[in-house]
Amino acid sequence: MTYPLTRTPGHTLGCQSLTAFCHTGGVHPEMVQRLVALGILEPERDDAGNLWFGRDQVLALARVRRLRAGLGVNYAALGLVIDLLDRVAALERELRVTTSRRTGGRSWT
Amino acid sequence: MAPSRDFYETLGVSRDVSADDMQRAYRKLARTYHPDVNKDPAAEERFKDISEAYDVLSDPEQRRRYDAFGPDFRQVPPDMDRQTWARARAGAAAGGGGHARRGGGPAEHVYTRSGGFQDIDLEAMFGGMFGGRGGGRSGPIPGADQEAEIELPVEEAYAGGHRTVTLSGPDGSRTLDVRIPPGVTDGQRIRLSGQGGRGGDGATNGDLYLVVRLAPHPRYRVDGRDITVTLPLAPWEAALGASVAVDTPGGEGKVWVPPGTSSGRRLRLKGQGLPNPRGRPGDLYAEARIMVPPKLSDEERQMFEQLAAVSTFDPRRQP
Repeated sequence: MTYPLTRTPGHTLGCQSLTAFCHTGGVHPEMVQRLVALGILEPERDDAGNLWFGRDQVLALARVRRLRAGLGVNYAALGLVIDLLDRVAALERELRVTTSRRTGGRSWT
Repeated sequence: MAPSRDFYETLGVSRDVSADDMQRAYRKLARTYHPDVNKDPAAEERFKDISEAYDVLSDPEQRRRYDAFGPDFRQVPPDMDRQTWARARAGAAAGGGGHARRGGGPAEHVYTRSGGFQDIDLEAMFGGMFGGRGGGRSGPIPGADQEAEIELPVEEAYAGGHRTVTLSGPDGSRTLDVRIPPGVTDGQRIRLSGQGGRGGDGATNGDLYLVVRLAPHPRYRVDGRDITVTLPLAPWEAALGASVAVDTPGGEGKVWVPPGTSSGRRLRLKGQGLPNPRGRPGDLYAEARIMVPPKLSDEERQMFEQLAAVSTFDPRRQP
């Protein structure tokens, strides 16, 4: 008989196991493992070495699948494309805030 | 879906385009309108059209059939030639309705032979947006998040309210009733869960984010949650002090102008700026601007002259 000595992240953070994650995401575990190895998915690892996937990872996987299906982005380029898209989004966010500050300070808005 | 749209036009190429050039045009458009690259809600529909057009035209057999039969090519049985199809269409049209299933003439011949070709569900055939390409054995893909801008007057950002937003969508434009929470700021995003890009085959939709833009206002200047409003003052109000009315988005307020106030002085009305659902509200600043009467009455002129003679005040004196 084995007793779990540590709590898995799944209990505390609403994470999913690899099997459940693959089921939700509609992909083969092999693809998930490949994406984890490439650093595109970043699941939590518990003390037993099992992977746990949060909600943000579900969205990340969906984006990977859209990029692969829609643009044919290959595994090697995925990491770069995703990093660049995130950076563009962050810059656009920053630009929105700074332009609103600037116009807010000078002209009538 | 717009089935009447010309596939060549969608890809922006001529009808005699080579496969290479067409692929180049497709790749360029796909990069521009991919829902993960382009957050505009209209981009998704465009991307879908582009993908559909390329799916058909990149396959030589389907392209040949599209060239021969036009947008209805999927309804044409594989062994039909162009003339027979044209005759069948003409017959059906004369019979009063392009897709008549019953009735005499060549149309019946076509449809009965095709065994229900006209009933092909295009969505199923293409598997939604992404099913057609590269998806392989995997399941349906959730939709991407989208962004659109919404312009609000300052008063509405202050008080909140309801807005009707119209967006172009897959089935023409769709209208959304959006609740604006009180205290939204310029650049803030309002999330509409599940209103973004459509997921394929029952997968979850993405979210739609409405980015708030505050419309220019004749009186209010907004910086974050703080609002500045100009407070015109008569010279004697500014010199002697006065309690005057000031416009705020929440209605008229009172502000005490201390004696000796010059133009440019900012009087703070604490917490009278844009409200903050998660913390301290912004402040309202009344910025003093001293105005003089454009025309003086004789009595006013006399008194100003008297004041000029008596006063030693020189605003230009260097300290």
